[in-house]
Amino acid sequence: MTGPTPNTVLPAAPPGRVRRRRLTGSQSLCEIALAGALVIFTAPILWMILLTFQTDRAIISMSWEFQFTVQNILAILSPDEPFRTQTLNSIAIVAGTVILCGIASTLAGYSLSRLRMNRWLKYLVAGSCAILPLLPPMALVPGFYVTLIQTGLLGSLTGLILLNTILNLPFATLLMKIGFDEIPPALQEAASIDGASDLRTFTTIMLPLVAPSLITTSLITAIMTWNEFLMGLTMTSGGTTSPLSVGIASLVQPYEVRWGQLAAIGSLAVVPIMIISLVASKRIIAGMTRGAVK
Amino acid sequence: MTAYRRLFAFSNLSTLPFLVLVIGIAGYSWVQVVVMAFSHLRIEAGQFVWSAAGWDNFIAIMNNPLARYSIAVTAVFVAATVILSVAIGIGLALLVERSRRLARVSQIILLWPAIVAPVVVSLIWLLILSPNIGVLNKLLETLFLPSQDWLGTEIGALFAIILVDVWHWTPVTFLMIYTALCGLDGEAIEAARCDGASEWQVIRHIKLPMLMPAILGTVFIRAVMGVKAFDEMYLLTTGGPNNATTLVSLHIRDVFFDQLNYGYGSAFSVLTVVLLSLAIALVLAIRALRRSRFLNPMREANSQ
Repeated sequence: MTGPTPNTVLPAAPPGRVRRRRLTGSQSLCEIALAGALVIFTAPILWMILLTFQTDRAIISMSWEFQFTVQNILAILSPDEPFRTQTLNSIAIVAGTVILCGIASTLAGYSLSRLRMNRWLKYLVAGSCAILPLLPPMALVPGFYVTLIQTGLLGSLTGLILLNTILNLPFATLLMKIGFDEIPPALQEAASIDGASDLRTFTTIMLPLVAPSLITTSLITAIMTWNEFLMGLTMTSGGTTSPLSVGIASLVQPYEVRWGQLAAIGSLAVVPIMIISLVASKRIIAGMTRGAVK
Repeated sequence: MTAYRRLFAFSNLSTLPFLVLVIGIAGYSWVQVVVMAFSHLRIEAGQFVWSAAGWDNFIAIMNNPLARYSIAVTAVFVAATVILSVAIGIGLALLVERSRRLARVSQIILLWPAIVAPVVVSLIWLLILSPNIGVLNKLLETLFLPSQDWLGTEIGALFAIILVDVWHWTPVTFLMIYTALCGLDGEAIEAARCDGASEWQVIRHIKLPMLMPAILGTVFIRAVMGVKAFDEMYLLTTGGPNNATTLVSLHIRDVFFDQLNYGYGSAFSVLTVVLLSLAIALVLAIRALRRSRFLNPMREANSQ
């Protein structure tokens, strides 16, 4: 009765293969159904990316013909078109919103989670975090429009950064509050016993610890801002003042639609985000579900 | 003095950026909406000219068939998209949980529709549904089936925006329900399996009841998202044909920015928010009633 000798022990299967047992009937049915669903959810996006490389003639033709051309991409990137400026606008708006929203949500989330703050102030902040996401943005548009006219910010990037920050701030604050909740309270107590002020505890202890939550929050904010359309549409006059999402919409003209270029600019807006999602899917999912469930 | 200093302590001051942005700008803007709703507004020489209107704007809404229609069609849109996307989301979550080979990749791939810009979503579906160049008609013709013109007919366009919205947001319902499903207590499920319950019985009698809180939460979130919907329809149908897909948001934009009827547009905004608040209050009231022991004496016994 000896134990298994090294000869008889099977080589350890790599972790990925452990689960690859043979599939039972109902199991493979389940895999097939899921694969079908995945095709339905991805095919429309892939079709647009495919059309990016087709000529308009091939797209309009009723038969199936495929070529490969980069003409559409070159066309929308040419200096005559506003899309370069619009892409830069979008990047500037995203950067500004992520920074502003990051600062405001981290500070507010810290107070909500960790500090003994004025009770009424707490109700006010928590209440607006709960109510603002329920309001349709369109219902606020008339008010924002007038406010921006009064402050002279209508049509400016600053105005759009402010509005995007406002729209994302309640959710971001909630995410940051949850992030601070997860830090063990002992650390904060230790710092305050050692005589650190609230501000000092915040900057030297809490901020480094909450960095992962801040990255998640910033990712979600960045994606939402990059995709934002309504404020860009209503608060700018189009052309080179607007973000990329509005530029895309302006390509759909009633009479002459440049289908290939339309697909190309759509891909331009989508592919960066899809690449980010491949790298950071865990974070995005965590941000989307964590904030929503609570 | 101490009270004064406490008010300006870091704990309170740190909410200042939030308060300036949300209460300051958004709150101020909302007050403007309410004031405009009760005003007649004209632009003369680049300046707004305000005059009090009383309830005129709201009476105008009551008398506008398109306004009433837009509320009704939004209700239909919300009901259809919520039911479909939550049902498909539950199905996908159960499939992914059972799947061995596709579980990881599904989570990444199913994220894609949800993070694509809504404008691009409508563009993607324009490339599919367009009667002239859409791939759907190419497919139908290849299969010798009659071609479709959904975007050109009233019912078809409504069907199309529901389809697009469900495609766009089902990934979110999937993610929420799947997260809840992974967090379920495995013991009850294991026990049921040991007692010989079939997979369907496990789903029907164990998993779905345990998932109910997550499902209801998802329904709530999706319903609010449905009321907010704007971007996809703006490009895909522009509210047409014959205003058949004029959701509340599209109606507000049209009145405020195309017809420059500021008072009416703001009044409709206020009305939308009031109706939404009433609906949410109703949901909360029903939930509170169902939780109270008065209406549900069995609950005590069940929970023990």
